[in-house]
Amino acid sequence: MEAVFRLHNVSKSYGQREVLNVNDLTIPGHEIYAFLGPNGSGKTTLLRIIALLARNTAGKVEVLGEEVVWSKDQLLRLRRQMAMVTQTSFMFEGSVFSNVAYGLKVRGQRGQEVRQTVAKVLELVGMTAFINNDTRGLSGGERQKIAIARAVAVKPQVLFLDEPTANIDPRSSLDIEKYIKLIKQELNTTIIMVTHNLFQARRLADRIYFMWDGHIIEDGSTQEMFENPKDKRTRLFMLGDAVF
Amino acid sequence: MDIIIDGLKQGFQLIWSLDPEIIQITLVSLQVSLTALLLAGITGIPIGSALALKEMPGKRTILNIIYTFMGLPPVLAGLMVYLALTTRGPLGQYQLLFTPTAMIIAQLLLAFPIVCGLTARTVMSQHQEVYDTAATLGASRRQASWVIIKESRIGIIGALTTALGRVIAEVGAVMLVGGNIQGSTRVLTTSIVLETRMGNDSRAIAIGIILLAIAFSIIMIINILEKRSFKYGGSIQIT
Repeated sequence: MEAVFRLHNVSKSYGQREVLNVNDLTIPGHEIYAFLGPNGSGKTTLLRIIALLARNTAGKVEVLGEEVVWSKDQLLRLRRQMAMVTQTSFMFEGSVFSNVAYGLKVRGQRGQEVRQTVAKVLELVGMTAFINNDTRGLSGGERQKIAIARAVAVKPQVLFLDEPTANIDPRSSLDIEKYIKLIKQELNTTIIMVTHNLFQARRLADRIYFMWDGHIIEDGSTQEMFENPKDKRTRLFMLGDAVF
Repeated sequence: MDIIIDGLKQGFQLIWSLDPEIIQITLVSLQVSLTALLLAGITGIPIGSALALKEMPGKRTILNIIYTFMGLPPVLAGLMVYLALTTRGPLGQYQLLFTPTAMIIAQLLLAFPIVCGLTARTVMSQHQEVYDTAATLGASRRQASWVIIKESRIGIIGALTTALGRVIAEVGAVMLVGGNIQGSTRVLTTSIVLETRMGNDSRAIAIGIILLAIAFSIIMIINILEKRSFKYGGSIQIT
């Protein structure tokens, strides 16, 4: 079976310090995968490597069935099949429309086609009324919803979510979780999220990878990982005793 | 005190009467400084952005040289251009010395490092997140780089403002390569020097007022452009 991501002996170092070391990782796709672990465990580094935003120091990375050689053409082609929502949901200067339309415009789409897609994705996240607003006046929750709409607009095969609700209130967080589920159901998108929010991972993820000190020390279905974790460190974390 | 008040009165009268010589000097000043600024913008913004965004050997050294040239004394810039354009210099055959073109070259030498250096700094100060957001939405390197430059526009406008302030107010370089020739290369700053030396205080003050008014008008226009670009309206409330 062709996996969406496959990593073999992948490591990342900054000088002498190794921050990531993954022996073998296969992510089959079409589900919601959560990378859990304490701060500094390597979750974001791993996410940035598979999202093709940072190079691995060693090892082999396969994305969407292709071994990554980091050539300009390959990066663009693969990145155009993926999208990411970051923790702070950076917004470009300008209106909500111009932000959501950005990914479409860089792909050469124009006019009615862009307007229709923007309207559709804003409706999906309940933000239709904000289409002409300046992004400067948006709250954290609103920005995050716009960031999700912006990412979904390009119809990615893979959607990366880096701590998608870290800076927002519980009500908006629940809204966002609802949209994440909807995106998976409606668009059959593979969703890969990084979080240290245990409850969110439990509510959303189909499969969990637990990271510790740069390594994936355990993975399994969400139920297995919460009800019967094998590693002591996973157990401590899942019980909330080792959340840093 | 009387000399200043009389000078101011006569100065305003001269401006009000639209003295033809003062108008001509003002137009030469604007032509020289705005052309130099335009050329500095056309060259300095792309080069500064490229230096900020591309990794290349010797990048740090190039940037350090540019930063050093940001403090280049105008009279030294004038001397360098003078030596290049004088009849015995490498570009002497073009006979550009004591023409507005020579003054534009000298002012370009002053404005370019400022535009280039400050553009590089402001682009480098952008967060990685700007590039990451564009890249993950499918932007090519060129498209993502353009977004970073667009997001840096407040700093780039600031670089142009600073460069304009430097060239419009400088006297050393234009005096040396322009020669302060009446009707040709005389500009506002060289006129102030000349009129003061000749004891024409009122004319010197009139020209000084015009110089200030020009600088003020241009800065006001730039401020309006800048304010539109400020992410949070350009004001921080400290309570």
